[in-house]
Amino acid sequence: MAKVVIDPLTRIEGHLRVEVEVENGKVVDAHVIGTMYRGIEAMLRGRDPRDATYVTERVCGVCAGSHGWASSLALDKAYGANVPAGGRLIRNLILGAMYLHDHPLHFYHLSALDYIDVIAVAQYQGKDPGLLAVKDKIVKLVTAGDTAPLTPRYKPDAFSVNDPELVTMAVAHYLKALEMQAKAKKMSALFAGKQPHQSSIVVGGVTMLPSIGVVEQFRSMLYEQLDFIEKTYLQDVLTFGTGPLLPLAQAGVGGGSPNYLSYGGFARDDAGKDMFFKAGVIMDGNLSSIKSVDEAKITEDVQYSWYKASANGKTPYTEDTVPDLDKKGAYTFVKAPRYDAKPIEVGPLARMLVMQPKGLMDIIAKYNIKPGAVARHAARAYETLLMAKDMFNWIDALEKEMGSKEFRIHDTDHWEAPATGQGAGMVEAPRGALGHFIKVADHKIENYQMVVPTTWNFSPRDDKGVRGPVEEALIGVPVPDLENPVNIVRVVRSYDPCLACAIHLIHPETNQIKKFQIGW
Amino acid sequence: MGNFDLLKVKGVSRRDFMKLIAATTAALGLPELIVPQAANALEQALKKPPVIWLEGMDCTGCTESAISTLNPSPAELILDMLSIRYHETIMAGSGHTSEEAYQEALKEKFVLVVEGSCPGKEEQDRFCMIGGRPFRKILLESAQKAQVILAIGSCASEGAGIPGACASGAVGVAEILRNEGINKPVINLPCCPVKPNTLIGTILYYLTYQKAPELDAQNRPVAFYGSLLHDNCPRRGHFESGNFLTDWNDPLQKEYCLILKGCKGPKTYTDCAQVWWNDNANFCINAGSPCSGCSEKDFYDGFSPLYAKQEIFKLPGVGQVNADTVGAVIGGAAAVGLGAHLIATAASGRLSKKDHKEDV
Repeated sequence: MAKVVIDPLTRIEGHLRVEVEVENGKVVDAHVIGTMYRGIEAMLRGRDPRDATYVTERVCGVCAGSHGWASSLALDKAYGANVPAGGRLIRNLILGAMYLHDHPLHFYHLSALDYIDVIAVAQYQGKDPGLLAVKDKIVKLVTAGDTAPLTPRYKPDAFSVNDPELVTMAVAHYLKALEMQAKAKKMSALFAGKQPHQSSIVVGGVTMLPSIGVVEQFRSMLYEQLDFIEKTYLQDVLTFGTGPLLPLAQAGVGGGSPNYLSYGGFARDDAGKDMFFKAGVIMDGNLSSIKSVDEAKITEDVQYSWYKASANGKTPYTEDTVPDLDKKGAYTFVKAPRYDAKPIEVGPLARMLVMQPKGLMDIIAKYNIKPGAVARHAARAYETLLMAKDMFNWIDALEKEMGSKEFRIHDTDHWEAPATGQGAGMVEAPRGALGHFIKVADHKIENYQMVVPTTWNFSPRDDKGVRGPVEEALIGVPVPDLENPVNIVRVVRSYDPCLACAIHLIHPETNQIKKFQIGW
Repeated sequence: MGNFDLLKVKGVSRRDFMKLIAATTAALGLPELIVPQAANALEQALKKPPVIWLEGMDCTGCTESAISTLNPSPAELILDMLSIRYHETIMAGSGHTSEEAYQEALKEKFVLVVEGSCPGKEEQDRFCMIGGRPFRKILLESAQKAQVILAIGSCASEGAGIPGACASGAVGVAEILRNEGINKPVINLPCCPVKPNTLIGTILYYLTYQKAPELDAQNRPVAFYGSLLHDNCPRRGHFESGNFLTDWNDPLQKEYCLILKGCKGPKTYTDCAQVWWNDNANFCINAGSPCSGCSEKDFYDGFSPLYAKQEIFKLPGVGQVNADTVGAVIGGAAAVGLGAHLIATAASGRLSKKDHKEDV
């Protein structure tokens, strides 16, 4: 048995270490390890609750907006705020645009280099002027002896695509997608102030009272995004997934836990009954039985995490978390959330299996694709298309609202903190189910807790010793060459990990809060 | 091989190259004068500068912000302008291949970019480990060898932004070096996240002149941090007239001053009002959100609560109040004289009754 350690596992958000044990060319055991901690929630205790939307927004700069959004929803509940339709729609558009940014960026810039042999571009023999320009560029980088950051890398393996035509197209689209992700952030910023780290979302709604000009600009940029998503991004994922990567797809490499959770998100009505992403739970791979989500079934274990066992229960409202860096057996800063005591996968695959859109399910059936790394990419690309299409309805609805004399974006009556209150903001971030939980006492934050997508997926073993979803997904993954564990990174990256999100804790004893006082 | 041939080998035509330099300098508010000089220096130096880009206790938002530039494009930034040898989020390699890339780059004359804060002391090292090593040690090692150090974003700059307010002992890059008695200058480019124009502009300036641009007391380039937001705020007129936004729904108040919503503009040095974010799409104040002061070392802890009315800022100038003075007072430098201003302000009737009542 051999041990393989990948640290840092790059092209993800945050700092991740993966340790696997390999026997007869396959992974037999795995540990995923979060190696960075900031302690943001602890710092929030005792502060003005409105600061939480601003501060937690900065938990992650890749799924920018998601935490601010979840936080505002938790605060809306704690404050008793009623977000007007304008506020709801603008929040949706800010976040929707960030999906259009996140997913293609994940495919082209964080993942694709695992599947293509970039140097094959040099062999391109076609006549397409755009692709010839790409070839020219890459060849010149090679000639100049400076191909960073495209090299160094793991060696291409049997699954690496080296067809010059395909690879050159992929590299051309890598460059195009770099431009499109910047434009998607710009779209979001039209309503959000800036991206990453929007400033528009606050408790009660948003701060940006839009003009028709901004709406028009957003819509025209949305057309450009839709065109790219439909004709380039989704096509590339399908070309690769049903072509050279079909064996990986059909073998379900990187399958993981057969349980899936989606909180649902992006309300299409004020009552929150009609959600774009549907809420649901799938257990044991039973796709014909979608159960409703029960918040009370969410708990967090810490036996294998560098925290003391919680004295106050394991639910997000009650758990207390105290670091214990010398804890025996512990190996990560990530906690182990469980749903109904089971590990559960969150993210695009979970959302799409809960929603089961016909177009995607037909592709999965036609090519006999099993849940795994390739299926995750397909689900991610497909939901991006659904999102872009639905966003046209949202921008139309916003424009219609703006025509009304009653147009509002903010609940002004619930701006000051209540004496007491609590609330959960449960949304779908690009990486999966995201929950923020707040308790307000004496107009201040008494407790704040986040249970984030990467905590679900990259959880360590729970108190019963059951592996987290990604740890389970790594079991059986082929590693024919110990020096070149490219399949490991393919599986890990398919979850689009965000470790900065995953690690957080409350440290009541050392939580020092300095106040900014102004004397008269 | 002449420099221009070298340029061509790098995959950049001379026309494209000049366009890139001109666009960069213009977009970044650098004087046009440096265009030929910048082009020349880059040609001489080309070799694109090797870059080691470390991420500590970060959120990757600064990387995301850097690649949100559209002029120059993100591809030009990461492939044509820079040779990014080590960057956890972008690089192809992982594990030992990325470690090798880092070690190789250390041997060169590299630019060090640091995103995120760093545990301040050895006993906190466990809070940020990379490749099995404390991030603090990696940072110290590379900082000592770097030709220039750019601390980008609020977390890496003085005060360490939000992590700086946490219990994990996070500090900025300069403080880490000071703690170890290492006397090496750090250029701070705060804001949460870093503004692409300040990052690209500073790198360009450095490559052109081989020295840091003029820096202020917080070691921020004066070119980007030299002016007070409040002095350039498009809503300054409303501040002077005592028009303060209290209701985001009211179209009449849409452009009103955000002081009542907690705006920190009077204490914040940044070019946000002149150079907007995301290809000039927007910025916080234009979006109706109060400035949080994220380019200042007092951010975040010193500026919390962010959305509470900070009555002291709500001082329409009696005669011409120097906003600098207001800023200094807010910072606690001198409380004297404020009372007089306030009384005069209230007496002048610039605070509406409603505003005044809300302040109590």
